[in-house]
Amino acid sequence: MKKLLVFVETKGDEPRKATLELLSETRRLSEAGSFAVTAVGLGKISERAIEKVLGYADSFVRITDALLDHYTPEGYSEALAAYARQEDVLLILGAATQTARDFLPRTAVLLEAGIASDVTAIGWADDPMTFVRPMYGGRVPAQCTFAGYPAVVSVRPNSYAVAPARERRGEYAEVAGCVSPDRIKTRVLRVEVESKGKVDLMEADSIVTGGRGMKGAENFALLEELAAGLGGAVGATRSVVDAKWRDQDDQVGKSGKTVSPKLYIAAGLSGAIHHVMGMDTSGVILAINKDPNAIIFNYANYGIVGDVMEIVPAMTAELKKRTGR
Amino acid sequence: MTIVVLAKQVPDPEALVEVRSGGKELEIEQKFATNLFDEFAIEEALRIREKHGGKVTVITLGGPKATELLRTALAMGADDVLFLEDPAFLEGDGYATALTLSKAVARQGADLVLCGRQAIDDDRGEVGPMVAEFLGLPHVGAVLKLDIGDGTAVAERAVEGGREVVEVTLPAVITAAKGLNEPRVPQVMGVMKAMRAQIPRVSPADLGLAPSDIGKAGSKLKIERYFTRQKRAAVKLIEGTPEEQAAEAIRILAEVERVI
Repeated sequence: MKKLLVFVETKGDEPRKATLELLSETRRLSEAGSFAVTAVGLGKISERAIEKVLGYADSFVRITDALLDHYTPEGYSEALAAYARQEDVLLILGAATQTARDFLPRTAVLLEAGIASDVTAIGWADDPMTFVRPMYGGRVPAQCTFAGYPAVVSVRPNSYAVAPARERRGEYAEVAGCVSPDRIKTRVLRVEVESKGKVDLMEADSIVTGGRGMKGAENFALLEELAAGLGGAVGATRSVVDAKWRDQDDQVGKSGKTVSPKLYIAAGLSGAIHHVMGMDTSGVILAINKDPNAIIFNYANYGIVGDVMEIVPAMTAELKKRTGR
Repeated sequence: MTIVVLAKQVPDPEALVEVRSGGKELEIEQKFATNLFDEFAIEEALRIREKHGGKVTVITLGGPKATELLRTALAMGADDVLFLEDPAFLEGDGYATALTLSKAVARQGADLVLCGRQAIDDDRGEVGPMVAEFLGLPHVGAVLKLDIGDGTAVAERAVEGGREVVEVTLPAVITAAKGLNEPRVPQVMGVMKAMRAQIPRVSPADLGLAPSDIGKAGSKLKIERYFTRQKRAAVKLIEGTPEEQAAEAIRILAEVERVI
């Protein structure tokens, strides 16, 4: 049976949600008898993450190597390529996180393989297999095929739903890595972690983004409260970031992050094309703006013409009533 | 310090892009700009040269209009440019494009290679890391701050949930993210000089590449067809007092859309 490798990325001692989404889809394929699925972890992985992944994959292989304890694109790309080569796989898959998009292109070069980045849909049963990836900021989805295999694919977070975890079904194995020390030429000096437990923008199910209509940095607390009630994250437009009301990491749009949550709430933002390009593939879009002619309403499923300062707290209160959170 | 910048001309973000011939091709409004992230790369190269000395060469691969990008780079202050101009170079996937660019960098020689983290037309973000791998160099991706030292560089990059500060030995490839700098606007004198500059060109043969290895022919990922995005249905406006609007919005999201 053709083999799929899924790169497992972790956050703390848990697999990333985007990894579980991908593993949910590949478990479905494995159960249908279409492919054999091996999850691959690099370096240190917690017991907890291993157990969780084994509920999804036919097997979980952890490549052990002190050189993989910290992420480096050189180390990760080589370790994954070496294992893929040895196992004769069809596809090397990973969630299209910042990390995976940083090193998977190098893995492709090492395997002399093609790569499709930030794919949103895969036609597994098509002959040849097809991959849809958004171009031009999501305005033009392009259907692609590979001229040969193996091939490397990263899948945009929120493209598949996370299926419930099951009883352990897979086998766990450790393989000694053989990363060449000479190859590693980057060294992490320090990591500055933002507030722990914060939901990552790219993986969030719900995002509340504020624009200039928020009138000042202090008013983003209103969006934080709504996002907290939704279990989501807060985004910002370019002008908000340029005005230093929010950090660069929060920016959604062409020059910031591309997001695709189930729910996107656009609060007090006009809908400049640069912004829309970063959020247009979201599931449901609710726009709140006091200007009935704001362009954002052209891209939204639902619209509220009104003052964000009134609407947002009222939504937070209503949500609390409903969920008790 | 010999610095090479890889830059791409892309359709202006506002340019109209239409799917034609039943998805076989795109019709793109003829409005172009230097890829936003590549502008940060060019600016950073110039700042490094101003501080540490050296030479900045900007390389592009593209159609005839891409000379505009090179003239803009010269006007900003680049010392040299190089134009990879040949139909065989065009429409490559990340692999074929990075292979080509890596040959051009190798021919030029570089202590530092800078490029944008991603081009805003193909949205691949593959070329920087792939060029690094083809050249056997390290890279640091999506960099927000860069300090060049003696044989090393210290780069700050955004990672999921925080920032990472990385030391890398040179030569290396650095990809630029928004926040790295504010690109300068070319001065009139620079523009005048750039208009008169000769643009050196290289062909596949100059780089030792066969046409079958590069561009569309050499691509490992083929685009079969383009789709037209299904437009969302017209917006449904929620009316009432602010409290009513808020309550109705939450009701719809929970009960109709089931997203909360």
